[in-house]
Amino acid sequence: MKLEIDSFSGFRIYPSKGKLFVRGDSKVFRFANSKNASLFLQRKNPRKIAWTQVYRRMHKKGITEEVAKKRSRRTVKHARGIVGADIATITAKRNQTAAVRQQARLAAITKAKTEKKEKESKKAKPAARASAPSGPKVSKQQMKGGKGGR
Amino acid sequence: MIGLKSTLNVIDNSGALLVECVNILKNKVNNGVGSVGDEIVCVVKRARPISAATQASVNAVKVRKGDVRRAVIVRTRKEVRRPDGTYVRFDDNAAVLLNNKREMLGTRIGGIVNADLRLKGWSKIISLAPRVV
Repeated sequence: MKLEIDSFSGFRIYPSKGKLFVRGDSKVFRFANSKNASLFLQRKNPRKIAWTQVYRRMHKKGITEEVAKKRSRRTVKHARGIVGADIATITAKRNQTAAVRQQARLAAITKAKTEKKEKESKKAKPAARASAPSGPKVSKQQMKGGKGGR
Repeated sequence: MIGLKSTLNVIDNSGALLVECVNILKNKVNNGVGSVGDEIVCVVKRARPISAATQASVNAVKVRKGDVRRAVIVRTRKEVRRPDGTYVRFDDNAAVLLNNKREMLGTRIGGIVNADLRLKGWSKIISLAPRVV
């Protein structure tokens, strides 16, 4: 037993009820009672007739329970390695304790300081050597004697 | 409810367009009213023009205006009751032309027909129809 629905109002049509109307363009319309049939033939718009299903759906009457089911989408984050640091190194670095990190930092600082000192000392020596020959800034002419000048 | 002087559209390709009912062939009933599946005698009121070339060659018989033929009613504007209690109503009255031996004159049917024809024994028409309701 198939329950049809009314083409005008959306009511259910039980067996032995209602009429079936086939229009000239072969479109089939089912009506549950003469009220719906008459309104259809008067060319009334079901969207404007307040008791039809079409109207109720359009104006969202009585649907509040069904709409409450909204599912929120959540994106899942995946840990991924990058070029230059595979995931093992990343997790190792992340999992370093604060103490270890500070030690590493100090070690880096001292290392840098020593390196800097070495650099400075290296710079000082050649700088000193470089300045020795140029000592007192006397021109060649003066050293050779001032005779040729005149 | 097709009676005397009722006009029906012809929906096969026999060449007729409009027929007028002259008699309803129901057993021993003189003043009958015809419904879906009833055979009637009709006069062709309007027919498609037949060119001379197609006249000789075509297989299907082409009818002319003024011919008296038989037909079977396939659609009525008056609603017909089905055994399950529903009523079916179409937007116009329509018929399919036949010869004296209850065979179709045309070879194709262009339009929807009433499924009650099956109960009256017109299965050939139903098989040719593009849509049956």
